[in-house]
Amino acid sequence: MITWSTSIWLYLWLAGIAGGAYFAAFLAERFAGEVNRKLLRLATYLGIPLAVIGVILLVVDLGQPLRFWHLLAEFKVISPMSMGTWILLVWVGIAVIMAVFWWAEYRLTEQMARNLRRITDVLAWVDFVFAGLLMAYTGVLLAASSQPLWVGTLLLPSLFVASAVSTGVAIVIITAVTGRNWAIPGRMVSRLAEADVILILVELAVLIGYAIWLGASTLAGTGEALRLLTIGALAAPFWLGVVLLALLVPFGLEVANWGKEIKTKAVWRTIIASSACVILGGLILRAVIVIAGQM
Amino acid sequence: MPKARLIDTSKCMACRGCQVACKQWNELPAVSTKQRGTYENPPELSGSTWIRVEFRERPGEWLFRAHTCMHCASASCEKVCPTAAISHQGEVVIIDQKWCIGCGYCVQACPFNIPHRDEITGTARKCTFCIDRITNGLEPACAKTCPPSAIQFGERADLIAAAHRRVRTLVADYGYPNACVYGENELGGLHTIYVLTDRPPVFGLPETPELATSTVLAQWLSGVITAGVVAALPFWFLFRRRKQIEAEQKSKVEGGTK
Repeated sequence: MITWSTSIWLYLWLAGIAGGAYFAAFLAERFAGEVNRKLLRLATYLGIPLAVIGVILLVVDLGQPLRFWHLLAEFKVISPMSMGTWILLVWVGIAVIMAVFWWAEYRLTEQMARNLRRITDVLAWVDFVFAGLLMAYTGVLLAASSQPLWVGTLLLPSLFVASAVSTGVAIVIITAVTGRNWAIPGRMVSRLAEADVILILVELAVLIGYAIWLGASTLAGTGEALRLLTIGALAAPFWLGVVLLALLVPFGLEVANWGKEIKTKAVWRTIIASSACVILGGLILRAVIVIAGQM
Repeated sequence: MPKARLIDTSKCMACRGCQVACKQWNELPAVSTKQRGTYENPPELSGSTWIRVEFRERPGEWLFRAHTCMHCASASCEKVCPTAAISHQGEVVIIDQKWCIGCGYCVQACPFNIPHRDEITGTARKCTFCIDRITNGLEPACAKTCPPSAIQFGERADLIAAAHRRVRTLVADYGYPNACVYGENELGGLHTIYVLTDRPPVFGLPETPELATSTVLAQWLSGVITAGVVAALPFWFLFRRRKQIEAEQKSKVEGGTK
């Protein structure tokens, strides 16, 4: 019986993208020493609505939607769903505060704006940690259960984090190259696309490890779960949607683009196509794992 | 002294009286079902079916097992429940129907596939051990009705002793070499104890049931380490290099203009 269906895998996908985009943008700018935070702002403005849509989907999926606030009356460390509720709340809350501060910066005196930037700086660090927890939570949620596919290994949270960062980078890239108003430097976008190549390799490695671990697990039901994915009823979405669409196709496209700056239409198109594949493939990964786990 | 329920599969004749008694006492609606070529009915446990006799056939023999909540001492459903709507009241695991939000987490977490989300109430529901009966000195409806006393209710320690005696008899006199007691130590001790005429997996029970949250710390670490180390490295590698290159270019440009 499938208890968790469309809303759940859509939510896991959206929360992953939101956390991943923030995570990637934060790191890219920190390491690059960027001070104006354009990328982080873009990721934050994208992440807030995605996370909110995800939460709405979750609430609607409850058997008693009007009782959603009961989640906020409990703080239960052992329950990943309870922890996830708080992580999501803190992450979105801080992101909204940061967005308000960025908006306010231009409307204050120089001295006040500088103070505000200092606070935003600290908030950005805190929200970076929560973005990491948010991505991890989407996997841990499933991994604290009795479904062999979800609990048979310790790699499901790892797989979902790799996919979350990859899809997050992809959405930042698409927004940066289509939304010219953002004026994200082309070199920054190219480096992001290169980061995605490495992330795809990481995700592929984790996926292979996950499959091997499942196959070798002595836990009852893991073998059947693996067969369901690879040769069973869900083999088509797994091989075509996850392996090909989320991993191999964008890997090929982005390797072809490696080192090229976005100056020609062809490079531009390739970068959008590969990012779109990553995002769609991430959705199929969540759907396949959520459904297969309950079959 | 904790109470328990003993279900002896060697005595069960699959009359399904327990199913009817459970529905009657708990005022649960009947489910409309289709003939599936078996007397096993309804097809699965649900929000309105809290006990169900499972039929398994093998050459020359039927295996019947009444499938219902184990009331585990370490209950996965209770652990994962994000609103703490699931709690222990003595040995009984209860879902507070006024507090449950119907998230379905207990459904995923239970190693025995017991709680289910009820379409009508929107909440997760399952066997209550007839807590309204047992706290008033009565036995659960399923045990009360069972004609061959395949379901018994009583002191847990007494029932475990009786179960071991029965298993010894089954092994020695009835030719069931694999007969066993299930639930004595599993998950901190179950409060539904089984006498099984064969190994647990033959009856659809996990040989060693695990608590859903038993690896939760390691799972968190898996996600956090992947994020903090593996996924962060490409950014360090690519963007730090960019900073360096730009610094070099800048110094070159500056050097050129001098």
